[in-house]
Amino acid sequence: MTLRVALLGNPNTGKSTLFNRLCGLRSKTANFPGSTVSHNVGRCVTRSGEALDIIDLPGIYSLRLELPESRLCADCLDGRIADGRPDATLIVLDANNLPRNLQFAASALRRGLPSVIAINMADLAQRRGLIIDEVAATESLGVPVIAISARTGQGVDRLLDHLTKTATRAQIPHPAIALPTSEPGSTASAVWAAETFARIAAHPPPSDAVEMTIHDRLDAAFTHPLLGILCFALMMSLLFASIYWLAQFPMEGVDGIFGWVGAIIAHGLPPGPLQDLVVHGVVGGVAATVIFLPQIVLLFFLLALLEDSGYLARAAFAVDRTMRRFGLPGQAFMPLLSSHACALPGIMATRLIPDPRDRLATILVAPFMSCSARVPVYALLTSMLFAGRPLAAGLAFTACYLLGALAGLGTAAVLRRTILKGPTLPMMLELPDYRLPSIRTALTIAVDRGFLFLKNAGSVILSIAIVMWWLSAYPKSPLAPEVVALELRAADLESTDFAAAQQLRHDAIRLDERNQQSGSFAGQLGRTLEPLFAPMGLDRQLTVAVLTSFLAREVFTTTVFVMAGAGTDAEGTEAGTLAAIRSAKRDDGQPLFTPPTSAALLVFFVLAMQCLPTLVVVAKETGSWRWPLLQFVYMTALAYGAAFLVYRLMT
Amino acid sequence: MASKGIQIPLSQLVRGQRATVECSALDALPADHRCLLAAMGMGEKCEVRVCRAGTPCIVQIDRTRLGLPRDVAERILVTLLESPRP
Repeated sequence: MTLRVALLGNPNTGKSTLFNRLCGLRSKTANFPGSTVSHNVGRCVTRSGEALDIIDLPGIYSLRLELPESRLCADCLDGRIADGRPDATLIVLDANNLPRNLQFAASALRRGLPSVIAINMADLAQRRGLIIDEVAATESLGVPVIAISARTGQGVDRLLDHLTKTATRAQIPHPAIALPTSEPGSTASAVWAAETFARIAAHPPPSDAVEMTIHDRLDAAFTHPLLGILCFALMMSLLFASIYWLAQFPMEGVDGIFGWVGAIIAHGLPPGPLQDLVVHGVVGGVAATVIFLPQIVLLFFLLALLEDSGYLARAAFAVDRTMRRFGLPGQAFMPLLSSHACALPGIMATRLIPDPRDRLATILVAPFMSCSARVPVYALLTSMLFAGRPLAAGLAFTACYLLGALAGLGTAAVLRRTILKGPTLPMMLELPDYRLPSIRTALTIAVDRGFLFLKNAGSVILSIAIVMWWLSAYPKSPLAPEVVALELRAADLESTDFAAAQQLRHDAIRLDERNQQSGSFAGQLGRTLEPLFAPMGLDRQLTVAVLTSFLAREVFTTTVFVMAGAGTDAEGTEAGTLAAIRSAKRDDGQPLFTPPTSAALLVFFVLAMQCLPTLVVVAKETGSWRWPLLQFVYMTALAYGAAFLVYRLMT
Repeated sequence: MASKGIQIPLSQLVRGQRATVECSALDALPADHRCLLAAMGMGEKCEVRVCRAGTPCIVQIDRTRLGLPRDVAERILVTLLESPRP
């Protein structure tokens, strides 16, 4: 049977870095049964071949605080959730902050579970002159204590050996060790921790005066009311602009690979419905979404670097003042930031907000934050608006994020002054040390997100691509008289003017494609509902694309590709995915994406509630379908109204 | 600027000043704030150094840096230990 190990520790002790070091990509996000708080579980295989399931619990300051994350950890250790008590705990301490961390370790050891303590960032502490005496620490705490560096891997193998032995033999902490009975923060606990620290720290650290002054100045700048916000805006703009610059090269590669696969399949299959399904429905449809994989991976990579650098905690304070004006607590910052990845974990993370009104307001505005599913749509529409101008496209991308955040904050302000009236709790936050971010950890997170995106593309998006191909390919319409006339004229001209004949044939093919599209099930549906979306400049093709995106936003690009019958450009040659979408036409021959339409669609996608799973989770979290219904109606109406205004202003 | 030895709100200290948190002063805070602050390291008689005054008020306790909103810092009474370094 696989041994289960709970990973515990204060926030900012490098727990996640250690988890990624131990489990790498062999981890998955899961929920505890009976709870919607997510956690990562990873499989770790030791040098001796022993398999350990590592449960990465949230960072906490005490197991007895009246906070959701503390309750979750206590419940996990006591076996009230998951599959009974874990076989062991791995307690991670920060070597640079041992007195406080030791107090937490004592309270965790009192639970009586077999335990091992990892003193992380020992290499950084050593550079400050602090050397951990492992033997003295083991004697003082009654469990194996190993000094490690999760970042470099130093000591991790020894840690695993001790962890396996302790869990296998169910070695509980030595009963003769006198641990403080009071909770972290009490005088007795602080005195015990100070005495223990004196015993296990071989050399006391020298003064940090110079380092602290630099930290003070950085903190002053990053949390300054004006400068802090400017830094944050600049940081985000640079981040998104660099995503555009850097992602274009791998995007071309992905596009090329899919084009090559499509060409191989087209060559191997006889012309007909099957070839069309595989080349345009499956390969083309999936390519239209997967092409944005490099941007998603880069976004998460850069965000992970920022978080690891210690900057994001300062940014939380920079935006806290603004958020409080809108009636949201500082604790809402992290759930809202998480919602930029996906609203689902963001909404689940609101469980960490203690006040119910604050929590509900955060849940209701979280879907306004621009999630990763919107990234392909933003990327497509901003590139339509600013073709060949990456800086302008990057700024437009940033503006989308800002618009979503402002809409969310504005909505929160209204909610907190009306139906959710009440005081806002203050934010108290630990600011981690500034440090060089770990490339390895950022890569692990980015690759993990990339796999999740690909998994989605391989299941939901593939299914929708196939359905959309069928809906837009059937029923077949008979050849229109105009098409027949064009073909007859081409046949007449073939012997005298070959080039003109070829052009006529090409026109006939395009006209027939448009007629087939128009007569298909999707075309009929689009025509029926077109009047609803015509005020924001959409034709029947874009109407269908917007309707399907209510299932999942990122499907929009796939649907546009499949619906527009893309794959050939104006000259009739095979084109890249973006070029094909850019050259797509409406039934009247006008470009599918005009600047007003692209801008209106962009605003619509920023503001609209188009995610079925999010609505389900909101219902679950709020215990009622009333809130998700309100959220859906409000966000969709706001998106429709704003898109209509933008379209009218630009035309 | 605050004088040495007098109990004053933490929010009145300037950058670089050091002070001791008064145990009874924390009682002015709601219980959940008090417990969380203590677990974060701001317990009875702990020594703090002000890294940034204002909002947020950033204080250092041992190697821990805590950011506090002004309204919380106003309710924590401290005894000044020394004047800021030049």
